[in-house]
Amino acid sequence: MRVIRGIFAIVTTVILLTGGVQAAPRMTISDSLFDFGYVPQNAKVAHVFWLHSTGDDTLKIIKVNPG
Amino acid sequence: MLAVGDSTRLEIIYSTGRSKSRRSKSPQIETNEGPPKHRLRIFAHGVERPDSTYPIVVSPYKLDLSQFTEKLVEKKKFEITNMSDQKLELKLVDLASRYLEVKLPKSIKPGKTAEGEIKIREYYLDESFEKSFTIELNDEKSTRFTVPVKRTVRNLQAKGTSEAGGK
Repeated sequence: MRVIRGIFAIVTTVILLTGGVQAAPRMTISDSLFDFGYVPQNAKVAHVFWLHSTGDDTLKIIKVNPG
Repeated sequence: MLAVGDSTRLEIIYSTGRSKSRRSKSPQIETNEGPPKHRLRIFAHGVERPDSTYPIVVSPYKLDLSQFTEKLVEKKKFEITNMSDQKLELKLVDLASRYLEVKLPKSIKPGKTAEGEIKIREYYLDESFEKSFTIELNDEKSTRFTVPVKRTVRNLQAKGTSEAGGK
């Protein structure tokens, strides 16, 4: 019985260390909403959003769609 | 590509066009995380008559710091008039701080006008750009006003060289 428990523990540990915990990219945005308020017509205004790579693998920004 | 722990800036430029109502845009960012895409949200209220806004009027409502002669244009003053009957406190909530410095009055008494100043940072004096800054008031609605800032620099030195070469 002890042997079976030991094997089970080893197998569980191996699964957790390999397949179970896979490195993954993750992006977080500090503040994803911005309100310009009143803006004159026919004008261009700009705001900077900060994107952070908070996962455990390299983050690739593939495309930004203006919406 | 962003290494783990790194950050990057994403500048969104919004053109108001002839809009005269509150509108929103939702730019989307696709990454190698897979779906769903990340969504940003911006709001802007186009103003048809920016010289008669409430509770403040910013004058001029668009700031142009263009330089077409050799005379250096690096700063400009502007005025903010409090059109309401309450004292208003002003806060700078957004600014292209790499390019610009903005001085705002802390507060303006009812019916009074106060002065602000915008200055281009020395490193960007040779560049043309379109940026903006956003002011937030302490009224009930926390009203915001965004002032567009434009700079066009004509390359006088290059023009001069070309003309000299042609003679």
